[in-house]
Order: sequence, then C-alpha cells, then structure tokens
Amino acid sequence: MVHQKGKDWQDGVKSDEAEFAEEADSLWRITLGPLIWALHFVASYGTTAAWCAKVATAFEPVPGLRIGLAVLTVAALAGIVWVGWRAWRQWDFTEDWDYVNKEGENEDRHEFLGHAAFLLAIVSFVGVVYVAMPVLLIESCR
Amino acid sequence: MSAISGDPNDIRRMSGREIADARAPEGPYPPTDEMLAEPMDPEVSRAQAERLRAAWKTPQGWRYWSAVNNSEVGLWYVLTAFFFMLCAGLLALAMRVQLAVPDNDVLSADRFNQFFTMHGTAMMFLFAVPLFEAISILILPAFMGARDMPFPRLSAYGFWCFLIGSVFVMGSLLFNAAPKAGWFMYPPLATQDLGIGSDIWLLGLSFIEVASIAAAVELIVGTLKCRPPGMRVNLMPLYAWYVLVVGGMIVFAFPPLIAGDLLFELERSFDWPFFDPERGGDPLLWQHLFWIFGHPEVYIIFLPSIAIAAMIVPTAAQRPIVGYSWIVLSAVGTGFLSFGLWVHHMFTTGLPALSLGFFSAASEAVVIPTGIQIFAFVATLMVGRVTMSLPMLWIAGALAIFTAGGLTGVMVAIASFDFQVHDTYFIVAHLHYTLFGGMVLPVIGGVYYFYPFIRKKQMSERMGRWAFWLIFTGFNITFLPMHLTGLLGMPRRVFTYPTGLGWDWLNMVSSVGAFVIAAGFAVFTWDLLRPKGHQPPPPRNPWRAGTLEWSHNIPEEAWGSRSIPYVDSRYPLWQQEKIVERMDAGRYYLGDAEEGLRETLVTSVIDARPVYVARVTGPAWITHLAAGFTGAAFIIPTFHIYWPAVVAGAFAVACIIYWLWTSTARIPETEKKDVGLGLTLATYVAGPKAVGWWGMWITMLADSTAFAGLVFGVFYYWTSNTAFPPPGADFAEPWLMAGGAVAMVASWAAVLGAREINRRGRTDIARMALVAAPVLAGLGVAGMVAALWLPDLDPTSHVYPAMMWVLVVWTVAHTIAGVVMQCYCLAGTIFGKIDPAHDADLWNTCLFWHFLCLTAIITALVTGLLPRVL
Amino acid sequence: MTSWRVTRPGIFAPCLLLLLLPACDGPQSALAPAGREAELLADLFWIMLAGAVVLWLAINGLMFYVTRINVGHMPRRLAEGIIIGGGIVFPVIVLAALLGYGLTLMPLTRVPGDGLRIRVTGEQWWWRVEYWPEGAEAPVVAANEVRLPSGRRTDIELAAHEVIHSFWIPALGGKTDMFPGRDTLMTLEPLTPGVYRGQCAEFCGESHALMAFQAVVLPEEEFADWLEAEAAPARPPSGPLEAAGQEVFLAQGCGACHTVRGTPATGAVGPDLTHVGSRLTIGAGTLPPTAEALANWIAHPGTIKPGVEMPSYDELAPDDLAALAAWLEGLE
Repeated sequence: MVHQKGKDWQDGVKSDEAEFAEEADSLWRITLGPLIWALHFVASYGTTAAWCAKVATAFEPVPGLRIGLAVLTVAALAGIVWVGWRAWRQWDFTEDWDYVNKEGENEDRHEFLGHAAFLLAIVSFVGVVYVAMPVLLIESCR
Repeated sequence: MSAISGDPNDIRRMSGREIADARAPEGPYPPTDEMLAEPMDPEVSRAQAERLRAAWKTPQGWRYWSAVNNSEVGLWYVLTAFFFMLCAGLLALAMRVQLAVPDNDVLSADRFNQFFTMHGTAMMFLFAVPLFEAISILILPAFMGARDMPFPRLSAYGFWCFLIGSVFVMGSLLFNAAPKAGWFMYPPLATQDLGIGSDIWLLGLSFIEVASIAAAVELIVGTLKCRPPGMRVNLMPLYAWYVLVVGGMIVFAFPPLIAGDLLFELERSFDWPFFDPERGGDPLLWQHLFWIFGHPEVYIIFLPSIAIAAMIVPTAAQRPIVGYSWIVLSAVGTGFLSFGLWVHHMFTTGLPALSLGFFSAASEAVVIPTGIQIFAFVATLMVGRVTMSLPMLWIAGALAIFTAGGLTGVMVAIASFDFQVHDTYFIVAHLHYTLFGGMVLPVIGGVYYFYPFIRKKQMSERMGRWAFWLIFTGFNITFLPMHLTGLLGMPRRVFTYPTGLGWDWLNMVSSVGAFVIAAGFAVFTWDLLRPKGHQPPPPRNPWRAGTLEWSHNIPEEAWGSRSIPYVDSRYPLWQQEKIVERMDAGRYYLGDAEEGLRETLVTSVIDARPVYVARVTGPAWITHLAAGFTGAAFIIPTFHIYWPAVVAGAFAVACIIYWLWTSTARIPETEKKDVGLGLTLATYVAGPKAVGWWGMWITMLADSTAFAGLVFGVFYYWTSNTAFPPPGADFAEPWLMAGGAVAMVASWAAVLGAREINRRGRTDIARMALVAAPVLAGLGVAGMVAALWLPDLDPTSHVYPAMMWVLVVWTVAHTIAGVVMQCYCLAGTIFGKIDPAHDADLWNTCLFWHFLCLTAIITALVTGLLPRVL
Repeated sequence: MTSWRVTRPGIFAPCLLLLLLPACDGPQSALAPAGREAELLADLFWIMLAGAVVLWLAINGLMFYVTRINVGHMPRRLAEGIIIGGGIVFPVIVLAALLGYGLTLMPLTRVPGDGLRIRVTGEQWWWRVEYWPEGAEAPVVAANEVRLPSGRRTDIELAAHEVIHSFWIPALGGKTDMFPGRDTLMTLEPLTPGVYRGQCAEFCGESHALMAFQAVVLPEEEFADWLEAEAAPARPPSGPLEAAGQEVFLAQGCGACHTVRGTPATGAVGPDLTHVGSRLTIGAGTLPPTAEALANWIAHPGTIKPGVEMPSYDELAPDDLAALAAWLEGLE
C-alpha cells in the first residue's frame, strides 16, 4: 500500500484543482473585463427597455435614466481600469520586456494570462465607452 | 506499475482522500532531455506499433460505417456539409436565373420563396456550422497529438443525427413542401403557414442544433482535457483557442433558439399563443431569441475559418505568428462582444433610439478585435519571408473580400444608415462579402492546405488557381453590384421586380457572375473528388509547417499519433528537435496498447499535466440506432402525430442508456498503468478530473441558457404588455408550488447524499437514498403540475398561463431525465458498475441535479411568486 | 414619373461626378433623396463610402506589398506597431467619430410631426391608408398610395394585419416595420414634390415582391385640395356603361370586401376603391390604372399576384367585365 510520489515530479503532484487554485485570480481577471462590459451592456439595455416601456412617454427627455446610466458607466470603467492594472502587473512587461511568453514554463503561462487579461481590459474599456455614447448623445426614448 | 494495480479490491477499501492519492500520477514529469534522447529498441517499438494498429484498426467492408474514429466521422461530416453547400448553391443559381430579367417567371413565387428560405437555412445550419464541427473533429486531435476525440461515439451519433435531419429538411424541397417563410422564420407569417414547411424547419433544425451542441461540448472538452502533456494554455495552437471560443459561443448562442423553437412549436401544435398579439403574445420575442442566436452565429461561422487562416499564415511566412496573445484576445473579445449585437438585425422594429444606440455601439466595438486579428496576420507576413502558396492565395483573396464586407459592416452598424439599407440587396452584398471572405474562401484554402494530411494525396495546383480566380472574380461580379442594387431600393426576398427602377442591368450582371462562381466550384469539386490513385504519396510535411498535425503518418495509420509527445513550444516541429522521430519510435507517452484498448491521454486544463488514461469507445452500431430513433422522435411530430414520436423517443433513450452502460465509465481491469517515460497513470477517475464530468458540466451550461431564454421571455412579456399578468388572471397555488420545489430539493439532497455515503463504503444506505430520490422527484413535479392545474390556468387562453406552463413543462421534462439518471445509478450500484471507488456516474448525476435543483427553484419562484408581485 | 424632380446639389453629390450619374437615379433610390431623412442618410453614406474605399485600399495595399513586393523579413518592431496602430489606436478613434456622427443623426430622423397624421396598415399584400388631419374625428380612407405635403413633417403611424411588413420610401427616408398588435411610428419630411416608389421591405408571404405603392409628394396647397377631394364620396357613374359597371359591382357582392363611398358597398376586407381611378397604380403598385388592367386584375388576380385573397372573376361575361372596369377607372 505504499505509493511513492516521483522525486522528479517537479512541482509536486498537481491536479486541476491545484492548478486552478494557482491561477484562480488570473482566470477571473481574464473574464472579468468582458464580464463587466457584458453586465454594463445588459444593465443599460434592460433598464432602458423597462424605463421606455413603463415610465417615459415618446418624445419626452429622460434625464433620470441617462444620469443613472452615466453613473453606472463610470463605475464599470473604474472596475475595468482596476482589472487592467492588476493584469498589467501580472503581465510584468516592464520587468522582462517579454510579450511573447512562448516558453513552456509556469512564469510564461502566468504572464501570458496577464497579457491576455490586460488586452481584454483595453477592449472592454473601449466597449463600455462606446456603449455609453448613446446615453450622451440621445435625449429621449423615441 | 504501482502496488495497488494488482488487486482492484484494494482501492475499494480506501477512503475518498486515499483514492485520490492512489490515483495520482507517479513517476518523473516533465521528461528530461536524457530520457527523451534514450533510443527505443526497434523490436519493442515494432511490437508496440502492431498492438496499436490492431486496437485502432478501422472496420473493413460494410462494417466501415460503424467506425467512430475522428478521422472517419470527421471526413463523412465534412463531405456531407460540402454536399449541402452545393445543393444550397444550386438553389442560389436558380434564384439568380429567375432574377436575371424583370418580370421573369422561371420560378413561381411559392417555389422562389422555398428556394431562398432553404438557401439560407442550408448554408447556415447544414453547411457553415456543421462544417466547423466537422473540420474540428477531423483535425483538432491531430493539432494536439491526441488519438481521438474524448467521446468518439458522441461524434458519430452527432453525425448520424445531422445526416438524418438534414436529408429530411433538404428533402422537403423535392415534395414542394419546404419551409418558405425565410430562414429566420418570423412569426406570425411562419406560425400561420398552412403547410408543414414551418414544422419541418423547426423540428428538423432543432434536431440538428442538438447535434451541434453535442459536437461543441465534445470539442470544448477535447481542447481543455486532451492536449498533449506540456501544452500549456500559452502554447496551444491558435486553432485550438478558436475552437474553445467558438464552442463556448455555441453553448450560449444555440440554446436561446432552442427555447424559441419550443415556444414556436407549442404555438403551432397546441395553440399556446406566444406570438399571437390577440392573446398577449408578441412576435418580437421570436426576433429577440432568434437573433440572440443569430448574431453570435455569424461569428461562430467566421472565427473557425479565421482559425484556419491563423494556421496557414505562419506556415506561409515560415515563422511563428506575431501577436499570439493579441489573437487570443481578439478571439475571446469577439466571442463576448458578439452577444451584444443581436438587435442590429432589428434596427427597424421601432425600438427606442437609446436601445438602438447601445447595439449600434457594440456593433462598432466588435470591429476592433476583428481588426486586431487581421493586422496580426499582416504583421506575421511582414516579419516572415512569404511564399505565396496556393492555400495562402486563398487566404489573401479571403482577406480582400472580408475587409470589404467588414467595412460595409461598419456602415450598417450605424442604426440610421441601416434604416435605409436593412432588408435590401445592400445587406445581401454585405453578408456574402463577410461570409465568402470570412468563411468560404479560408475554408477552401484550408482544404488545399490540409488535403495532404487528410487524404495523403495532393490536389492540383493548376486547378486550384483556376478555381480561385473563377470564384474570386465571379464573386465580385455577382455581389459588388448588389450594393448599388440595394441602394436603388431593391428589397431582399422578392421573387420578381418590375422594369424601370434601374435594377435590370445590375441584376443581369449579378446573375452572370453567379455562373462564374459556379464554374469555379465545379473545378474545385472535381479536383477534390477526382480519383488520385496513381499519384505518388506527398511529402510528409509538404508546407514545412510547425504544428503537430504534420507529424502524421504516410501511408495512413488510424492511431492518430504513434506516441503522444511532450510539448513545450508553440510550433513543436520547428522548435523541438527530433520530435517527429521520437514520436514515430514511440519514445513518448502511450506508445503501446497492451490491453488492446483504444486509449488517449487526459491532461489538466491549464498546464496540460498528465492526469489519467481515458479508454475511449470503438466502432459501434448502437449510435446509428440511437440516432435513428432520435430522428424519428423529432421528425414524426412534423406531421402532427405525437404518440409514435414519444415511443421513438423512449427507444432512443433506451439505446443511449445501453450505449452508456456498456461502454462508458467501466471499471478497468487494472487501476493504473505505465504510459511510458516512467510515468504511471490511473485508468479510472471520477468527478472534475474525468472528461465525462466536464462534458456534463458544459452540456448543463447550454441547457441552463435555454432555460434562461424562457425566463427572459417572462420578463419580456412583462415589458411588452400593458398588463402582465392580465387583470383577473388566476395565480398558481403557492403552497403546492413551494411544496413541489421542496420535494425537488430533497431529491437533489438524496442523490448528493448517495454519492457521499457510497464513497464511505455504505453502499446499502446509498441504494436506499437512490430509491428515495426518484420518489421525491415524482412528488416534486406532481406538486408543481398540480399548482397550475388546480386553478385552471389554461395555456391557450393567454400568453401568461402559457408561459407559466412552459416553465413547468421544462422542469418536468428535465426531472424525467434526472430520474432516469438516478435509476441508472441505482442499477449501477446493484449490478457492480458503481462501487465506492468507481462512482463517475454518480458524480455526473449529481452535477445534473445541481442544475435541475436550481431550475426547479427558479421555476417555482417565477411561476408561484413573481406574477403576484408584477 | 420622375420628370420634375430635381437632384439636390450639394457637396456630397459625387454622383454627378462619377460615371454612376444615371446609376444613382431611380424612383426608388436612396441615393436620389427627396426628403430630409433621406438627405441626411445619403450624405452619411457618401462619407462612409469614401472612408471605406480609402481604408480598403490601405489594408489590401499593405497586404499586397508584404506578400508580393517586399516579401522579405521586415523589422519586428514595425510589425508590432502595425498591430497596435492599425488594430487598436486608429480604429478606436475613427469608429468613435463615426458612431458619434451616426448617433447624433438618429434624433434628427425621429423629430415629431407637425400636424398631419397618416396611419398605414400592412395587409397581405396591399396598404390600407388613413389620413388624419389635425383635429379630424374620422379618417379619410384610401389605399395603396401615400400622398404627403412637401415641406411639412408628417407623422406616420404603422400597423399590420396578420403578419409583419415594413414601410419604406427610399427617396424620402428609412424604413420602419409594421407589426400586428403593436403600433410603430415614423415621421417623414419630404422636400421635393414628385412621385416616388415605396415597397414592403419585410418578407410577408408569397407575393411580398408585389407589395409596392406610389408616394406622391405635393406642394402643401395642392395636397390640401387633393385631400378634400379624396374625402368626398365617389362620383356618380358618368354614362350608361359606367352605370352598368356599378351594377355588376354591387350584384357580384364586391361590396362585401370593398368600400366605395356613396354606394352601398361598405366592405372593409379589401382596399377602399372610392377614388381608385385617380391612383397611379392598381394592385399595390403592380399594374397601371387602366380599364384594361383593371379587367385583367378582376378576372385573374391570383395569376397577377399569387396567393392573393381576392377570388378570380373569370366567369364574368366580357361585357360585364368591361363595364365594371370602365366604372372603376372612372372613379377619380
């Protein structure tokens, strides 16, 4: 009943769980940027649909809705900036100037995930800004 | 081999923790250079190869059709999809003949409408999406040095389902009974259609969609769990990244359409008024559900083809891709953003300007990741030394066409401009530019590129160039003028038009161009199918590519890869010396099949560390039977006959149970085995380590998305109706509903308890829990049904009771599946398929019940509580 | 039909410069705008087209350059600059500008109307049209033709019977869908008097292709005169042939589906025919309004427009048919 773990098994026996535990933060970060975009999008669309159907009349301006969505936008952008900053740190670009991360090592995998998360944060940021533009430029539900 | 493997009873006496430890891999990993450099004894290697060949032998003669190996199923799948593309293309030609001159009467209005409906339907559902799955099944394992997909019989089942469904849908044209309300099937036109066309569309395609989701699940699990050791996420071939993203998109995009199909068919068959405005329904809900599917669908088609480009471009440039992370970002980003675009198909439905603005903005935002993708290709070509090979020519042509389609896409994403061009020939031009450039041309390039890998022969360079120039020029002659035709006011889907509107010459030019495209396809098809027996075998790596599929064997071997390599680079054939030589010698993992079983290596999700050896299924006929009965269950209701369909469905379930029982999660004869390079791995695992558990998890994500679609429907009706529920409407019995939900939760607890108790060795108590669980589930659904039945909520009277019923019906149907699983596990514990150490089925059943429990609670809340507070 | 319409001169009328000059014109062309909305959108199109052409040439020129002309290795830093500059920085700015432009246009195409309201209901496959001048209690009912005063902004209320349609006059503005059970709203401000063609843009069944109409833009006073005439009942038969025709109409039960105001025919299933003779087309933009075409239509509606609900009257005696057609043609 003795089973010996191989001594050469470099980082010890790692299962999916252990791996996920190690990269849990990065995996969150990767999805968090787009997820904030998605939540902001759904909230904007859903609130507008309900507001225009139940509260507003055709040509009347809807300042309440627009201010609310503007606040939401600022919050979403702040969230994305935070995610992007953490991802930038993880990518660790300025330390080794490595943006290719093509080696089969833990560090490269870790920094790759950071790089991808950082880039996704940029795209998500742009996405949120775009989606907020109608709130800025359109006054009524019509 | 380890100490425990001798006696399988050892492991049954262990605790859960001990079992996990006992099944942990043992031995050195990763392999050192010295280990890899050690030569193989040629005699041993030859004997190993013999055993492998025997285990993976493709059945001969008529039994060939029982094959389930990815190389056979994938090939049939590709050819079937290609055949339907040609059919749909012929329909397009017929339409172009009709439209060549004004007031033409080659086709009657009715036939024209069937033709354009089937052209769109076939191109989308019988060609584009299945082709992605077909190509991926065919080549993905090779990209990852894997032997096969994780669930080969599921691929085969999916293929046979697809074949039956698509022959049925396409065949309806021959009986002049094809669907004719457009590939988008908008109600009320489609719901009011008198023939069986709409039913054929709904049921036939639902069937195919289910098969598509099955394939997507398999592809995702394959990408996550069947990579070669060492291929971490940052080393995956880009194709695999795209498969992952697209698989994920299918899992979230198709289910809303299935939910919509369900509502639609309930209206057609049982008069539940989901889309009937007279009884509170709303035809716009269908449009939402359809396009929540329909727009991601566009990217589901586009991304895999761009993935093929991402494999060809580095080969053409003879250097690794520039901006690997950028491309991954763009694939993931596109995947997300594509779910925020659906209303741009509904810009003219009179929604509030603000709402349109959001979708306009998201539609522009999605251009950015797509642009990054294209510029990453350009950058790679800049840095490398480009050989304009035939595949690269197709890719370059594709980019030229796709960028034009992308730029018109930027235009139509501006909502106010779309007010003009929506539903005109401008859109016809735009979408064909994106789909030819984004799908058809890259795929043909891919066919030229991968042909030596697939058939071990080469296609003709000369004919390939002819085909390219014919299709490329013909395409532009056909579709470039259509932009103007649309701006001059010609709407889509018209079977004729009067003269004098400035459309005549434009249509004539388009029709001529269509025949030039057809000529190109004729050349391509001939080149693809012509006999090539006399040809000498091509070089093993004809394009000097860097990825693993080019380690394939010539002449062909069915084993996929002689041994599964250790990978620590993105382009192993360029960057890892002697890798092919060592693979061939069987130096790496799983170079043997001592037990004569088909095996593949399962690795961890992020870093691809070896986890266990999965025994995969071999040739079978049960999949054909299961597909046949499933097909009957979907096809018979088309004719509004229901009981035989239910019987067929029951037979289908019986076949699937037989198949699962006899060939999945079987207790192995040895607990661990030596897989080579000193590494010993388990042969059985349960729970999150197992591929089956991942398959269930992803399937349930898809299933829950469909359910979410139905819940969205409830909220949608609340916003679109002035009063929802209508004044004076009855409510569900709250206590019965709550009681039902509690019983469902108890059933869930029982099955979860059974798993835990079984792990602790108390099989008898586990069995009792598994007897109690179905009883509780039965009580649960009885309570929920009674809660609606007693107050007499008539689903045909108004959309509110119909919506309540559909949620409960959904829960009941899932509970039936859940009970079948519970009984399966009960039988497993009795007949020795499940014991304390081998409980994968119980884990999977529990996972299903987690989702079902949540579904039941939400159903109870939405039907029992929500209507009272709205 | 398009005789006295003037193509609007403007900075974005490169149509005039291109060989496309005749190609952009046409009674149903979005590129020959005659209304405020259509003008805004045509301008938008020309700007976007110019940008798109430049960008297409730039991207594909670059592609051609790196694959055909300078195939050798180029510096990696330059390539990465291309990804960041071409893939992110440039598109983010350009798209933001375009999006802003597009979004500011949207309210301009949805300005409320200033008096007249027209309610159009999509039928399979024709248009029921009701004019509601400001303060009117009952509408003036017509069919298959929309007349609009130029220089005024008219509210157009859209509905549908049974299936979805889409109301579209490209020369005047964008389209809006028509739904059963849900009203949608659009407004149009025609600028140039003339006759334009509109057509259903949402697939609506077998004869979707044959669901068109004429949009007649009249100077404001002419429009007022026309509306007054349209509100009047049908003129009495002008001769014995016409009188016989009216009798055939009533005897055949046409009045069960059609209204001709001033006669006992008050059906509401099919188009109102009170002034059918003054319309520019019959059969919803399908045939000219001649007695010959009317006779043809009455005898074989299903051949001309497949799937149409109107039964065919091919068993009518030729004389009766001719009389009926003559009477209808005279209903100006």
